[in-house]
Amino acid sequence: MTGVVEGGWEFVIAAYAITVLGFAIYGASLVARLKELNKHD
Amino acid sequence: MRSKTPYVLLALGTLLLLFGSYWGLFVAPSERYMGEVQRIMYVHVPTAWNWMLAVLFAFGCAIAYLFTANAKWDSRMEAGLEVGVLLAFLLCIQGSIWAKPTWGVWWDWDPRLTSVAVLLMASLGILALRSFVDDPSRRAVWSAVATIIASVDLPIVYFSVKWWNSLHQEQSTPQTVSSAFHLPLRVNAVAVLLLMIGFLMLRTRVAALRLERESAVPQLQQEAGELA
Repeated sequence: MTGVVEGGWEFVIAAYAITVLGFAIYGASLVARLKELNKHD
Repeated sequence: MRSKTPYVLLALGTLLLLFGSYWGLFVAPSERYMGEVQRIMYVHVPTAWNWMLAVLFAFGCAIAYLFTANAKWDSRMEAGLEVGVLLAFLLCIQGSIWAKPTWGVWWDWDPRLTSVAVLLMASLGILALRSFVDDPSRRAVWSAVATIIASVDLPIVYFSVKWWNSLHQEQSTPQTVSSAFHLPLRVNAVAVLLLMIGFLMLRTRVAALRLERESAVPQLQQEAGELA
């Protein structure tokens, strides 16, 4: 035990991937909801 | 003609997030003790800052609605709550991913994590409440009051690491962190801010359009009744 975290790139990649995915899915859902609402105008 | 501003903000935010993340992942040095895992900070901290801003925004809109009874503040509050839920959800996942290799557990009921989870649940509850109330003005008043009550948790979130001997580390400042670390952090903070404002603008439009349609239905029914 050195007290130093070794490796860990898999955690970093997971955190960034989930963040990007979260933003992308939310953005797409907003655009879809707006399109749906504007369709009925 | 609808404004293109939110789309421009989202495009700028995405480009800046790509730049800041590249800097944080491949240019900034790794931290002495946390190693590569510390790079999660470049998305986790900007998400946390902007989540707090989203909650503050919803709180401000709730106050403004109660004073003015103007529906535009209700639409903005709804947007602030939903974008806040998105950011809080991402914040908890990023934090868990960081916690596992550094603390040895995915989750701990420490004051910071618990107070964030409470506010996330409260925001989800307010959004659920909104979907159950049909009368727009009653819905707006109830959710404005609930948002103000829930926002009391925000200072607890912020000061929890100072008030209690928390497992979560205290806030870092540019005075305590080398520029090699805090510059990519700031770039990503601005990037997430631009994305958040873009999302808030689009979500406000969604809420306003729904409200417009809701109020159009009784009017149409009334007109149909008069014709009959």
